[in-house]
Amino acid sequence: MAVLIIWMFVIPAFVGNIPAAGMGKEKNDPIFKWVMGQIFLWALFQLVCIPFIIFRPVLSDMLIVYVVLTVVLLLCSLGVCTRSRLRLKAVENSDLVLQGSSKNKSRLHYIFWGLFFLLLAFQMIQAVRLAFSDGDDAYYVAEATAAEESNKLYSFLPYTGETTELNARHGLAPFPIWIALLARLSGIPSVTVAHVAVPLMLIPMAYGIFYLIGCKLWDKREEKLPLFLVFTEILVIFGSYSAYTAERFLIVRSRQGKAVLGSIIIPAIFFLLFQILERIQKQKKVEGMLWLLLTAAVTAGCLCSTQGAELSCILLGITGMCGCICYRRWKLLIPVLLSCLPALCYAALYFYFNN
Amino acid sequence: MFREFMGNGLIVGWYLLSVIYLLLQEKRKHVRILFVYVPCILLLLFFNPVFAWFIGLMEEIYWRLLWLLPITMTIAYAAVHICGRARGNARILTAVVCMILLVLSGSYVYRSSGIVKAENEYHVPQTVVDICDAIIIPGREVRALFPDEMLYYVRQYTALVRMPYGREIFGWGSDELSNLMHQETVDVSSLAKLAKEYQCHYVILPKEDKFEGSLLDYDYILFDTIDGYRIYKDTTMNFDVVF
Repeated sequence: MAVLIIWMFVIPAFVGNIPAAGMGKEKNDPIFKWVMGQIFLWALFQLVCIPFIIFRPVLSDMLIVYVVLTVVLLLCSLGVCTRSRLRLKAVENSDLVLQGSSKNKSRLHYIFWGLFFLLLAFQMIQAVRLAFSDGDDAYYVAEATAAEESNKLYSFLPYTGETTELNARHGLAPFPIWIALLARLSGIPSVTVAHVAVPLMLIPMAYGIFYLIGCKLWDKREEKLPLFLVFTEILVIFGSYSAYTAERFLIVRSRQGKAVLGSIIIPAIFFLLFQILERIQKQKKVEGMLWLLLTAAVTAGCLCSTQGAELSCILLGITGMCGCICYRRWKLLIPVLLSCLPALCYAALYFYFNN
Repeated sequence: MFREFMGNGLIVGWYLLSVIYLLLQEKRKHVRILFVYVPCILLLLFFNPVFAWFIGLMEEIYWRLLWLLPITMTIAYAAVHICGRARGNARILTAVVCMILLVLSGSYVYRSSGIVKAENEYHVPQTVVDICDAIIIPGREVRALFPDEMLYYVRQYTALVRMPYGREIFGWGSDELSNLMHQETVDVSSLAKLAKEYQCHYVILPKEDKFEGSLLDYDYILFDTIDGYRIYKDTTMNFDVVF
């Protein structure tokens, strides 16, 4: 279990130091580091996994390359961390003084935060206590189990276990293989990782992104931020008004890539676009790291589902066009287009394998 | 499709009202772009058949385009915005009223179909776990014919058990064996013949008594009975360890 906690919480948070170092206010936000670190790692996983699936579908070989690259990222993070800590010590101290002198938080602030954590704990307990049966698990979770036990990637039909050729629709979005990887690293069966461990990570992560967006909308010290989060929780918990909502997917199908796409990747892209537009609005420079994170989020979307490529490109395209028109900055389209490149490449691969 | 996505329509109704509210109240341009302009363009595109044809999303998953609408964030933001306009106790009252409205408009996710108390750390039915554990042979795969209610779970639990057919029979594929198993009364001699053709090491028969004849007459032995499910083992199959 400790290994899973390290791979799902500690390593992403540590890798998150890299994007955080290239950012402004979010530099010291642990939630930002954790969420963006995980998106970085998912993007890395997609980049590593696809060539293995196509050319050498062996889980253990892919695992070695991924772990080595993760260690390289951790070393980079360590370097970034040490350098920025030395450089920014004085600034951090002055920040602390400023925070200390800020206005007192109201009682409501604490009540809403308490309510938020209570509802979050409830959702996490339900994720462990209840079994959510969904027909698609027969494919995705079975694929993870098959990869973990057979050491082969997309070589068997998950429904029956018969050998098969690569199915591009599923093989180019190998989220189940990420689950198999966690299972291999931790020694816990894929089925348990998928149904118990993954929801315990992804549910808080979804709220982590809502928190980051809330921090952009309001000051952290206001009670509006926790109230916003409580409202998002109510909308998720009571989000089963149809079988198709992303909120329902987050709770009922959290181990499936498409749920991660709808509840984590799309909101994360939304958050990054918010940051970019906010900087343009305030006539500040848009950090290169933001564009890199956006590209990583698009790549992570492709890991989750083949529709991730389409949906992220549509969101980026519409927002990019709106930004261009509203701010009269046509050059904005260039980095937007570049951020879509991974999705376009995976879409091209998809058409190549399907024809 | 949109109607199906909306469900009872109340939450989507609140969402559309929230978008209109933000259109009128929100001053920050970048917030307006993301919470108002982008969703409006997206909805226009969603209802445009030319766009639907252009992006080529399969019809049954076209609704996923609606995931790009930030429904939860927009309603929550508008609700907090409205609460922020009230002062003192009225603020708490407004927040509570908003919460009650959202609770009444939505549908409790944990009351959805297919949710049961987990029986083990695998979150698959314990009967499936017990049957798989009974038939697994370390060092080789086995093929087993399972009743319909177990097809979803067997290969989630273990890849060491193969099946002649799986979940695909519920929608887009059936074969001779699955057709036979779905008949009102099953002729056991045909079942034994087909199970051998499919190289099934085991046949797990459902509790219902719809079988004419006994597998014991066709080189099978009753291997075990778990929770009322009878597990028959084909004695003519190869059970040698292969890896």
